[in-house]
Amino acid sequence: MNTIQKKIWGLVSVVLLIMIIIWLTLTYYNQKTQEQYNDILQRYIQMNEVTSVSDQVIMNLNNYLIEPSAAKKDQVNKSTESLRHVKKEINELRNMENTFALTNYMNLIDSLIETTERTMAFRDQEETESSASEFTEASRISKYISELTLTILDNELKTYDHFYRDIIIQSKELKKLGIWLLLLITVVLLFITYWVSLSITRPVHQLTKAANELSNGRFDQSITVESNDEIAFLAKTFNAMRININRLISEIQQKADLEHELQENKLLLKESQLRNLQSQINPHFLFNTLNILSKKAYLDGAEETSDLIVSVAELLRYNLKRLDHPVTLSEEVIVLKQYMDIQKARFTDRLRFNVEIDPTCLDVLIPGLSLQPIIENAVIHAVEPEEDGGTIWFRIHPGKDFVFIEIKDDGKGMPLEKINRLLESDRIEIEKHSSGIGFRNVVKRLQLFYGKKNLISIESEEGKGTSVHLKIPYKQEEGNHD
Amino acid sequence: MRKKVIIIFAVFFIILVYVTFTSALKVFQSGIEIPVIPAEDKEEIRLVLITQELDTPFWRKVSKGAEAQALKEKVSLEVWGSYGNNKEDFLKKLDVAIHSKVDGIIVQGLDTESFKELSKVKAASYGIPIITVANDVPMEESLRKTYIGSDQFEAGKVVAEELLDQMGVAGQVIILGDQEKEYYQERRLEGIQSVLKGYPEISLLYGSTGDEKEQIISTTQQLMNQLPEVDAFIAVNANHAGLMIQEIGRRSQVEPYHIYTFDDGSESDSLLAEGKLDGLLEQSPFRMGEESVRRVTQWISGETVPLDMQGYLTGIRMIESAGSMK
Repeated sequence: MNTIQKKIWGLVSVVLLIMIIIWLTLTYYNQKTQEQYNDILQRYIQMNEVTSVSDQVIMNLNNYLIEPSAAKKDQVNKSTESLRHVKKEINELRNMENTFALTNYMNLIDSLIETTERTMAFRDQEETESSASEFTEASRISKYISELTLTILDNELKTYDHFYRDIIIQSKELKKLGIWLLLLITVVLLFITYWVSLSITRPVHQLTKAANELSNGRFDQSITVESNDEIAFLAKTFNAMRININRLISEIQQKADLEHELQENKLLLKESQLRNLQSQINPHFLFNTLNILSKKAYLDGAEETSDLIVSVAELLRYNLKRLDHPVTLSEEVIVLKQYMDIQKARFTDRLRFNVEIDPTCLDVLIPGLSLQPIIENAVIHAVEPEEDGGTIWFRIHPGKDFVFIEIKDDGKGMPLEKINRLLESDRIEIEKHSSGIGFRNVVKRLQLFYGKKNLISIESEEGKGTSVHLKIPYKQEEGNHD
Repeated sequence: MRKKVIIIFAVFFIILVYVTFTSALKVFQSGIEIPVIPAEDKEEIRLVLITQELDTPFWRKVSKGAEAQALKEKVSLEVWGSYGNNKEDFLKKLDVAIHSKVDGIIVQGLDTESFKELSKVKAASYGIPIITVANDVPMEESLRKTYIGSDQFEAGKVVAEELLDQMGVAGQVIILGDQEKEYYQERRLEGIQSVLKGYPEISLLYGSTGDEKEQIISTTQQLMNQLPEVDAFIAVNANHAGLMIQEIGRRSQVEPYHIYTFDDGSESDSLLAEGKLDGLLEQSPFRMGEESVRRVTQWISGETVPLDMQGYLTGIRMIESAGSMK
């Protein structure tokens, strides 16, 4: 991975490398130039040395001639020795242009040495005259040497003229190169620095922007950082976090939606069940009523038929009107009384109907036609089968939280299994006997209407009768009524 | 916008790289080196040609010939010399050459004691062969190995014959020469005299002069005063011809006089071209240069030992002026 640290190191190394290369090159170049200068100077110094040494020889020789002594002779010898040495060095200055002159030069030095030696030899043999002429010769040669030195130096200047000019031009070029190099390096470094810094800061900017978006709650935009350093890693993990958050949010939303849908479905189901049950009542009731009407009309002729038909019509209207809405207990009671009038017309004194109503309880809301099926059941099971009929008690009395409604008969009662079956609202069992459906319908409707179970209970003793207890809450459970 | 900036930047960058690169090439590639050539091991034959008249066309031709031959023979040759008859400088050069122990010296002969001293004693003691070129010095006096150049006696004769040819067998002739009569001039004079002495009606007047301008002029005047009826002039030393003619011109027309000289003067060619000279004895300077180098190289390398003492003669011929009578 390309880390930020690596990038910075890279930049610094590039700068360092450039500096080192330039330094090395310039040092090498300077070294070379220095050597060239040294060579040139060396040449001049050596040539000059020849002149001075040859002068030295003549001077020492002169001293010796004036006053010959071992010490002075030694001096002469020393100086001729150094002249020989210089001659050897001079040989190295040879080049194409000066070969001839240099050979002459060296031969002149030889001649000087020879003449010097001759001079001394003559002096040693006391041949003063010869020695003097030889000395003159020697000093002349020495003069030639210095003249030739000048000539060679002159030639040297001519030969190297081009070279010297080159050096001057080159130093000028070097200066130019320095300026260009400085410019180039400046530009290159600026560019590299810009690039490296951008490659560090751009991802940070991108990340900052992405973080801003996230903090503003936009989780849908993917975070991409085009780099391969720590920031990119950060961005990747950041992106993973974003994806996770996104997933969690959508999961929660899905759940909520699902729940909402479920709730709705439930409500819909309830309502449909309610309607379904209510719609089951109408045909039964109509059927029963019409049955009664036909029987009464058959028995009594037309006397009481009109009254009955009024009651039936009343009931029917109530039925049609109230089916969908809750009604007050008092309305229900009125309908119940009308229904009982109809039944009395059927059973005459075989049916005894006792009513105890606490009028304070009559404002409670209950689903329409929820008492009538129970009474009807009581009539069917307790009155109809008995020869001398039966008694039905209908009581309404208030409780603390509930209004208690009791419907009691003195019929044969019913077994426990039947009671349980009647109260099991969940199981929808179609019984041939119409009243069974009616009762269970009531149980179910009450349950759905109030959102509570166990509002209805049945007590029965075989041979003694059955009593049905309803508990109607004063307040309806909120949200359940629709 | 961004693209534009990038393009501009790139162009700028490329130009900068190019300039820097070429500049660097200039600095590092020129590779100036001190032209050091290692000393050659083989001993080359070193010759010196020394003359005292480097400035004359004649001697330039001699040098050219010598250099050409030196190149052919693969010997190294240097031409030394003095300008304008500077004898002292010339002798010093000779001395230096001897002390420098060159392998051979080709020299313009100078008929003076010091020259003879140098060539006879010093050069001989160093064992350096000396050959004279163009101007000879007697062999006995100089111990020269040989002479390369014209037969000056013959040259004198040719001039004299030309004079006879143009002037006729009677007349007065002025001959101008050096005070310190050099050997070659003597020979020329002898040549002239050897021809003219057969004609009694021709009278000769020999005048000698120094090298100075004033001396030449005054000598000419003197001679013309002595011999007002003069018909012809011969300058034995070609360097005198110019001033002599100039002086004649100041008195009268130059045309009627028969004026002759040799080609080894500094003005000889131009005087001939101007028509002031009636005849010019032309020698073979280029050939002399060639021949001298060839001979001395032969001697040094031992091919031809000894050289002909009498010398090796090169051709001469007479050139007449285009405007002369003949």
